[in-house]
Amino acid sequence: MARLHTLLGDPLAAMRRAVVWWSIGLAGLVAATVGFWPAFQGTSGISQAIDQLPAGVVAAFGLQDFGTPAGYLRGNLYEFFIPLLLVAAGAALVSGQTAGEESNGRLELVLAQPVSRRAVYLSRVVAALGAFAVIVAAVTLVQLAIDAVVGLRIGTDVLLATIVLSALLGWLFASVAFLVATIRPSPGLVVSLAVGLAVASYVVAVLFPMSDVLAPWRHLSPWDWAFGGDPLEQPTEPWRYMALVAPSLASTVVGWYAVAKRDVAAP
Amino acid sequence: MPDADAVLRIDGLVKHYGRVEAVRGLDLEVRTGEVVGFLGPNGAGKTTTLRCLLGLLRPTAGRITVFGLDVATDGVAARRRMAYVPGELRLPERVTGSELVASLGRLRGSLDPARRDALAERLQLDLGRRVRELSTGNRRKVALLTAFLSGADLLVLDEPTSGLDPLMQHVFLELVREARAAGATILLSSHVLSEVQRAADRVVVLKSGAVVAAGTVTELRGRARQRLEIWFAGPAPAAELLDLPQLGQPVVDGSHVTATLTGPIQPLLGVLARHQVATLLVEEPDLEEAFLDLYGSAA
Repeated sequence: MARLHTLLGDPLAAMRRAVVWWSIGLAGLVAATVGFWPAFQGTSGISQAIDQLPAGVVAAFGLQDFGTPAGYLRGNLYEFFIPLLLVAAGAALVSGQTAGEESNGRLELVLAQPVSRRAVYLSRVVAALGAFAVIVAAVTLVQLAIDAVVGLRIGTDVLLATIVLSALLGWLFASVAFLVATIRPSPGLVVSLAVGLAVASYVVAVLFPMSDVLAPWRHLSPWDWAFGGDPLEQPTEPWRYMALVAPSLASTVVGWYAVAKRDVAAP
Repeated sequence: MPDADAVLRIDGLVKHYGRVEAVRGLDLEVRTGEVVGFLGPNGAGKTTTLRCLLGLLRPTAGRITVFGLDVATDGVAARRRMAYVPGELRLPERVTGSELVASLGRLRGSLDPARRDALAERLQLDLGRRVRELSTGNRRKVALLTAFLSGADLLVLDEPTSGLDPLMQHVFLELVREARAAGATILLSSHVLSEVQRAADRVVVLKSGAVVAAGTVTELRGRARQRLEIWFAGPAPAAELLDLPQLGQPVVDGSHVTATLTGPIQPLLGVLARHQVATLLVEEPDLEEAFLDLYGSAA
């Protein structure tokens, strides 16, 4: 128990500030966006402008039904911004606690103690997951609260499903960050690879459907797994959650194995 | 023949970083209760060897055992009996010294608050201050405190007094002696030769990843060149002196001779006995000269 205090408690304490700022940033974005709904819902200009766009472009960027609460949330928040910011938050937390701490030499004393390198790294990714969950909880609470205040009529079930899918998508790429950190503990490389992969797979999910040749390949993208079923409008099939969880677990297991197979970076 | 009393055994340690050979077939044994000084210039392989010992690096070849435990397969058990002070010390900035000591203590499974406070007092360390507010020397003291507090059987100290003032270096040497008296074995890597001279029973000198000399401080001194100055009552017997292979860099100026002496002094005394010597001055080399000599001869 005492060892868990150090292995989990120390990284959690070290992430306090980051969690606060990420929570304020994301929850603030949600509050500000939803706060504009009352002013937006009475205007038809933007919806009419979107209707002029090709159907493929509208679908690709999640702009369909932009005048409805679900369409408004999808187009402004959950089609791209919130998931990508969660990717960035998860990758930054994981990188900071693993590659960042190792490359600047602050893990040296910890790893010289009677504890395995795998236990140290695994506890750090678990701590980062805990910190990530706090950020997601802040987004969820603010979303539900601001919906009630401004009268955004949307089912809590579909909203929660969308937030959970966004979080799972974000954590999938955070797990990729973990895997990279266990192989090459360079914070810049870890974050840029995770976020870069997230953006690339977003492009696959969004742009590939516009081409008849490429369209089938969109199903390779985790963004398609997460949002291909339009979770703000339709009940989400269980396999979509599993499809996001499975590679996260696989990345974590491979990273857990790999981290003991290399040298600890010298400060 | 392996020493059954060896706390630490390193057999044929090789460590490559890509094409760079940091350690090349290093063998070392450290016996119970010894204080072994690990000397060498930058890049000699000292820190690489110590990091292999702690399991932080994976050797390219070779085997390291600590108390009979192979660090490659029983690293956790081996580290339970070791404490380490890194040369390049980086500590978490936002925690207090006390929190850091407690955190590392929890990983070891025990912490003696009375002993912690006594060590902090001797090291003149305020554990209530955050690490980011501490000077380099005070950060070093935090690491030293955790090492001496651990009660580990083998202390691995890499440049332990770097940043410490002379008073604290003295306290450090006292702590080393006390730990040794309590049964600990100490591996001390240092650039401060006087510190090694005062603390170590035995010295191992590394160069370019290999051991170039090992022995007691006295033995190493004996291998170093001694500076000679001789004044003869008459003209110096230059031809006889120049025939002595033990003499180096001889300068004969009338009745005055300066030279260096390596090896036994007996042949020189034989020559001197046949002449009238007014004054003979033999300066005993310190470890630094021995060290420089070793590096010169191994170059």
